[in-house]
Amino acid sequence: MVQIIVSSSVTGALAQWVLVELQGEVEPRQSGDLAGSLLGDLHYTCEGVPVLIVGHHILYGKVVQLEKPFAVLVKQGGAPQPSPAGPHGHYTVTALIKTKLLFKTRPKPIITHVPKKV
Amino acid sequence: AKLNPAELLPAVQCLSFGPQAGGGECCLLQLEPGLCAELEAGRSLVIRGEKDEHAVLCSKDKTYDMKIADTSNMLLFVPGCKTPEELNADAASCNIIHSQIAGFSKNYWELRRRRPKLKKLRKLLMEDPYEGPDSQKDQTSTFSKYTTEDLLSLIQASEEEILHQLQVIDACKIEGYWRVLDFDYEMKLLNHVTQLIDSESWPLSKVPLCACLEELGSLEPREMIEHILLSYGRKYVDAGEVFFEMREDKICRAIAQMLLQNAVKFNLSEFEEVWQQSVPEGMTTRLDQLQGLALVDRSSRPETIFLLKVEDLPEDNQERFNSLFGIRQKWTEVDITPYIQDLCAEKQTVGALLTKYARSSMLNGVKVYNSRRPIS
Repeated sequence: MVQIIVSSSVTGALAQWVLVELQGEVEPRQSGDLAGSLLGDLHYTCEGVPVLIVGHHILYGKVVQLEKPFAVLVKQGGAPQPSPAGPHGHYTVTALIKTKLLFKTRPKPIITHVPKKV
Repeated sequence: AKLNPAELLPAVQCLSFGPQAGGGECCLLQLEPGLCAELEAGRSLVIRGEKDEHAVLCSKDKTYDMKIADTSNMLLFVPGCKTPEELNADAASCNIIHSQIAGFSKNYWELRRRRPKLKKLRKLLMEDPYEGPDSQKDQTSTFSKYTTEDLLSLIQASEEEILHQLQVIDACKIEGYWRVLDFDYEMKLLNHVTQLIDSESWPLSKVPLCACLEELGSLEPREMIEHILLSYGRKYVDAGEVFFEMREDKICRAIAQMLLQNAVKFNLSEFEEVWQQSVPEGMTTRLDQLQGLALVDRSSRPETIFLLKVEDLPEDNQERFNSLFGIRQKWTEVDITPYIQDLCAEKQTVGALLTKYARSSMLNGVKVYNSRRPIS
């Protein structure tokens, strides 16, 4: 039987990350990977509402405390051990996520110049 | 849309995708209550499964099915992303914070608590039941014997669920390996004890361990005598001495099994008579002691009874119901309950199972259940 261990590699408190949930796809402006590209700027209003500016769009969101937190797992590479009873792989729990920023309203384009009615 | 800078907190977090972000090495696991605390306490979880089985995730004491949940949304994971509260607390910090998105995903692993798959445990241990020290079998046996570690690597269940089940099936550790007793050997041991209780005129509720070990120690290994007392009695201490309160229901049930396994079926009234005569003095037999062990057929003339052990039936819900409806077309709730009780998930009732897997109708004023589909 395959046995894969899921555990954290550090003793002590686990890192707490935040999930940002966006509707639809995010594509890079130029072709190629997303790696290294800027997504956008995250602001909060004084009331604590998250505001994300992506390109020339504004997205309003809300902070949600997750009822069921997530664990972020990273697969450990390396050849599986030959022992039939021993673990055959390892996922390291890199962080826990207990909060998410949910952006599900339609992005609004930012208009810098509103023509006046003649 | 317009954004009034006066309404915003001074800090801004610039999010960009980290160098590893597209790698796909990160995945998300949604945690059921309690699992988060387990991980934070430094404990591990284990994913288990044979190549042809669905994977399950086990904590120390629970088992969960794993399923991928797809979402149409993008889930980005951002280490060190600050919430409004954290920013407010840190008012003097730099106004532009650069944060990296460590990874993203469109799906995550979802968990659902399930009952552990323990039928395999009994099957493994029944490959080579222990027949006693005099048996030649053990020396020449080619069957595998299993330690706790072995069982953990073969059964899709958590360690505590496995250890609990070992107790339920009265397994014992012999030379480091988990064994179940061969039924005939078990009855032989039980018989030694009940005969001794009778000859010593001990009350059934106060059987002394020491005296048993002394009197029977020459006939059987002391560990086996103690094991049979533990299996069929409740241990307690009185004035520093260990006693057992014998379990009437369990003893009567075992003796019934011994009688019933010798034929396909029995005349009910004849069986009841022989059964009562076979149990120790002072014990009373009742048909409800045989739930999940034997089935009474009240439609035959004369009425009959036959052995039907729930542990011999399939573990999968649909297969179990198919099997039961193959044995008898229509069941009353009272008759079928002992044979489906173990299928109930956490907070699920027998009624819910019947609604899902059976169809009800009335027969002679009594509600009965039959299969939803034709059984060949």
